[in-house]
Amino acid sequence: MALPPPDPQFVLRGTSAAIHTLHFSCGGQEPDLPVLFSGSENGLIHVWNLKTHRADTALDGHGRKSVYCVETMGGKDRLLSQGRDQRICLWDLAEGRTSVTDSVCTEHVGFCRCSLVQLAQGRWLMATAAKGLQEVQVLELPSKTSVCTLKPEVGAKLGMPMCLKLWQLSCGSQPLLLAGYEDGSVILWNVTMGKALSQLICHQEPVMSLDFDSERTKGISGSSEKVLCIWSLNEQQNLQVYKTHELVNAGISDITIRPDKKILATAGWDHRIRIFGWKKLKPLAVLDYHTAAVHCVSFSEHRNPRERLLAAGSRDQRISLWSLYTQS
Amino acid sequence: ELLVQSLVQCISSVLAATCVRKRELLQELFSELCTCLAPPPSSGKPAPLSEELKLAVIQALHTLMHSAYGDVVLSLYQPSTLPLLGFAVSLLLGLAEKEKAKQIKISALECLQVLVLQCDCQEHRHLDEEEAQQCGDLFASFLPGISITLSRVITGDIKQGHKTTVSAIRLFYLIVGWVMSDAQLARIPKSKEKPPLEQSRVSELMVHRGPDWSKSTAQKLSLLLHKVVESSSVHPHWKVRLELVELVHHLLSNCSQSLVDSFSHLLKALVGLVNDENSEVQSRCNEVLRGIAEQRIVVQNRALADVLSENLHSLATALPRLMNSQDDTGKVSTLSLLLGYLKLLGPKINIVLNSVSHLQRLSKALVQVLELDVTDVKIVEERRWGPPGSWQQGVQRGRHQKKYFRFFTEEKVFQLLQQVCRVLGYYGNLYLLVDHFMGLYSESGLYRKQAAMVLNELVMGAAGLGVDVLQGREVPPSVDDLKGSVTSILDEYTDQANWYLITSIDTEEASPEHSVQRSGLTARPGGPCSTVLLPSPEPQVTTRSMNSNIWQICIQLEGVGCFAAVLGKEFRLLLLSALYPVLEKAGDRTLLISETALGTLADICEACSYDSVQCLINENSDYLVNGISLNLRQLAHQSHASQVLDTMLRHSDASLLPLVEDIIQDVLSALDQSYNNQASTFLRVLHSVMTALVQWFGACSAEEHQQRQTDKGQSRTQSQGQQEVTMTRQEVEQFFLDYVSQKQIAEGDVPDTGEEEADEVPPLAKAEPNNCDTDGEAPLPIHAQLARDVMERCIHLLSDGSLRVRLKVLDVLELCVTVLHPHGNHLLPMAHRVWPALVTRLISDDPLAVLRAFKVLCTLAQTCGDFLRQRFSKDVLPKLTSSLLSQAPASARAGPVYSHTLAFKLQLAVLQGLGSLCERLDMGESDLNKVADACLIYLSAKQPMKLQEAAQSVFLHLMQVDPDSTWLLLNEVCCPGPCQPPHASLRPVTLGGMGRP
Repeated sequence: MALPPPDPQFVLRGTSAAIHTLHFSCGGQEPDLPVLFSGSENGLIHVWNLKTHRADTALDGHGRKSVYCVETMGGKDRLLSQGRDQRICLWDLAEGRTSVTDSVCTEHVGFCRCSLVQLAQGRWLMATAAKGLQEVQVLELPSKTSVCTLKPEVGAKLGMPMCLKLWQLSCGSQPLLLAGYEDGSVILWNVTMGKALSQLICHQEPVMSLDFDSERTKGISGSSEKVLCIWSLNEQQNLQVYKTHELVNAGISDITIRPDKKILATAGWDHRIRIFGWKKLKPLAVLDYHTAAVHCVSFSEHRNPRERLLAAGSRDQRISLWSLYTQS
Repeated sequence: ELLVQSLVQCISSVLAATCVRKRELLQELFSELCTCLAPPPSSGKPAPLSEELKLAVIQALHTLMHSAYGDVVLSLYQPSTLPLLGFAVSLLLGLAEKEKAKQIKISALECLQVLVLQCDCQEHRHLDEEEAQQCGDLFASFLPGISITLSRVITGDIKQGHKTTVSAIRLFYLIVGWVMSDAQLARIPKSKEKPPLEQSRVSELMVHRGPDWSKSTAQKLSLLLHKVVESSSVHPHWKVRLELVELVHHLLSNCSQSLVDSFSHLLKALVGLVNDENSEVQSRCNEVLRGIAEQRIVVQNRALADVLSENLHSLATALPRLMNSQDDTGKVSTLSLLLGYLKLLGPKINIVLNSVSHLQRLSKALVQVLELDVTDVKIVEERRWGPPGSWQQGVQRGRHQKKYFRFFTEEKVFQLLQQVCRVLGYYGNLYLLVDHFMGLYSESGLYRKQAAMVLNELVMGAAGLGVDVLQGREVPPSVDDLKGSVTSILDEYTDQANWYLITSIDTEEASPEHSVQRSGLTARPGGPCSTVLLPSPEPQVTTRSMNSNIWQICIQLEGVGCFAAVLGKEFRLLLLSALYPVLEKAGDRTLLISETALGTLADICEACSYDSVQCLINENSDYLVNGISLNLRQLAHQSHASQVLDTMLRHSDASLLPLVEDIIQDVLSALDQSYNNQASTFLRVLHSVMTALVQWFGACSAEEHQQRQTDKGQSRTQSQGQQEVTMTRQEVEQFFLDYVSQKQIAEGDVPDTGEEEADEVPPLAKAEPNNCDTDGEAPLPIHAQLARDVMERCIHLLSDGSLRVRLKVLDVLELCVTVLHPHGNHLLPMAHRVWPALVTRLISDDPLAVLRAFKVLCTLAQTCGDFLRQRFSKDVLPKLTSSLLSQAPASARAGPVYSHTLAFKLQLAVLQGLGSLCERLDMGESDLNKVADACLIYLSAKQPMKLQEAAQSVFLHLMQVDPDSTWLLLNEVCCPGPCQPPHASLRPVTLGGMGRP
């Protein structure tokens, strides 16, 4: 007999707007409280205390325009947020401060989330969709110097970039960028040379989200159709379709591989969160709680595996927290 | 003999005035005096002397010892004088034991005391260690004689008076304490010294206090002490008992090593005397105990700790039996003994606890003793009806529920047991204890309640709350430790299998709980095979088991309160998991449980420093909402979740609306998924939601509404007043002018000034255009949206199969209408959709439903009068009037019992409501006639009084709408007097009712 579908461990309420992005910061030492950042449609970033399950502060820096990306840079005191006001803000949250220290104007009108990778201590590389329709801009932070702008070949009809993933094969090696485009293709860019290495058309519809496992050099992408696509990168830096997985309902808005690369979670338009084994894409669970499309999923990086959580934010204004370890 | 006596007296007075400086003189006098008392050598009987003489001699001896100069006295205590001294001692002992006169006895004992250099008075020179040691050696040879005789004196007849016993006890412990003193024994060399030859004869009498000797003596003393303690601890006179305390104190502090074997008796006596009826004994006893604890005699002395733990073990073994057989005072003393042991052991308790057998004995004993009496049927039967009226009251009663135990009734006994557990928790290793009792808790249902009780007290004790101890701990447990234990206990308590127990056999609620219980049973370890083999037979629910379940829940609830008290503000974090279950129980139908839960809530408030329960609920509603939302997802828990929501709503205010809105969406979606079976549960929630909304937001609209009502009322009274007063000419004139102008309007001749009509237009119509404007643009406020959503569900449920559900739906519907009242634009479409279903209720349903439906109709009419007019006259009115007409003969014939029937109530309600309904809806003439016709019969004197009155009210309302025709109609029926034409020019009127009686 199949187990009944599990319940969320807790549901965070009170944002009074749809949730677009989530980001955990739980890796700190004991006195450091685990927190969850959530960006919502009304332009507020809530900082949730995961001990009390209440929002400690709400950050307002995007002029009430939807916030669709929140990332931490290092600890939980340095925060990066991207909003529909076409700005990327850098926050200083140390010692209770809530101030925007710097901001970058992207002039990008889409929903493409930016991607961060740490080059060295205190040096970050950020890729974001740029003003030009098909362009991706790569910046170094915190200096804000532009590294390059990635433009597709003339005449290519890729459409807007929809999702980005910056990664390095190993620390110190050349950063690479995976970008999913509106026409359903995924392109691997060499950031330093500003050159496309490989292109793979894996979806008929816009690529909504992708994630990449640099250890196995395999990635997964989801679009507005019913298919999840896994592709791999061979030694010649060529992208190849490895496998596809048919879904029941169409529309994936977010895909995240858990940091330990064992499972992955998808956020579905059908209000459901799906958990798969990453190795063979074996369906493990369907988490059914939300009453509207799920927009984002995120895994926490607690030191203790038992405390690790999955969070999902939805259009129904709720954030559900799931404990996947205790269920097994 | 008289001569001897006076001589002796003379000597003693001389001695009292002088002092003896020469050894020889002292020895001579001493031996002379002793011979005076000596019995004849052959017979074993005491010397046949008069009592006076004996007394005189004793006193002389006494004075002699006092008058002797310091060093000189010591000369008596040389090995060479041992025989002489022994002679004196035996003489005096003989007197003390055998004599009848109290005076002699006491003096003899006092004299002995002086003789062993332990006089109470301060004159004596203090002996240095060396001398003390020597004397100790010397007295050792007397010890057997002295101790045996004294113990006989002590245990002797009570009639000898307490003074004798007291001084005997004192002497006993002084001499024993001296001879067996740890300090002295430690200095005794291993082997006996070779005595000088010339003293060999004497030295044979000398005792060498080597280890062997002290061991055997201790054994013998132990027997004696046992006897002494036993007899004097129950001695009727308190001074004796006080002296016993002193004895224990003295021996414990001086001979804690040499007399280890006797300590079990001594401590038993001491601990037992803590609860002596005499306060002086009590306080001294406590002092001594505290002294012992402070000096860390027990802590540093392993042997003593062993003795104590052995005592504890045997007492624990015997405890259940004792509790079963003893009377209440016996139980109290047994338990105070137990408590005393634990307190004395102090931090050493852990040694005992680390031994599995000890821990098991102790825990089993506690668990067995604490067994509750679960036979009371009342506890199961007592129900909470309706919503809890005043919380404060419940809180007061819920704090400490009196428990009934199987083995005792005395409150004191329970308090002692409480203390026992707390002291255990205070000193013991909390993790170990909690783990052990949790094991018992889950081991068997028999132990569960008691184990929970013990756990609660343990945690209290560990935090040092309400615990009375003799010595502090080395390290109090950290908050984290406490929190760890509390969290694990709390998890266990609120586990489904332990929290959802069958406490009633209500058909309404039982079914889901049964399933929970069953699943809970399978989850329990220990019974997997049985549950697998037997597919969960319906558990036998007896009153006894339900009572037991109720108590278990109560104890667990109390535990939650304890934990809150222990953790203080730290408990706020745990509210996340604890508040929901407690609130769930606060809504329980069993009185005891809900009261206890309220008490727990109050405890939590206090501990977490919230101002009131309301505050607590308000500030933690997000946690509650989470619990509710998650529980709504499971069918079995839906009724609980709805209870909690119910409670939450009742104690929160409008500030919670966003959260409430969120959760109501959940409720509605849950309802949508299970219309059939859970409807009644959810309707209760919807009802409380709507009540809350009416409370929060209805105020403004209700005020408005009220005003309108009073306006109308005033105008009505005015018009009534006008009717009563005979019309003045001006009024008649005015009436005609009005009539003419009305007629002109009716013919299409509208006058320019429309002010007068504007006044007559009901305020609602005036307000409506405004509403339209604002509503059209601004979105509906959340509460109104909710009301609309709920109303939508009501439409579906109006035709539910169960009458109960239908009735509830009608209630909810009425509230929805009230909330939506100010938002006509949204209400009217909803009303349109509700109408068909409502009509069916009004026309063809159970009378009860008709009654409620009619009420809804009245409410609806207040808001959307015009909208309803047509429909009402077409769909409902014919049926109503016909039923009124058809029922009239029945009610006219009926006896007094009729007023209790449903039919009567229906008639009454319809009659009462119909009038205002007609007025509100502004019915047309033909409809009014119908109403009037139907109601006319009810004016008959044959009808019950109440119906007559109601019918009158209908006509009063009708007069408002159409005064003329009503007047005419009524007068057609009956006209008490002829109509006098007001003016001669008018023709007299003849009416149908004229002349009728």
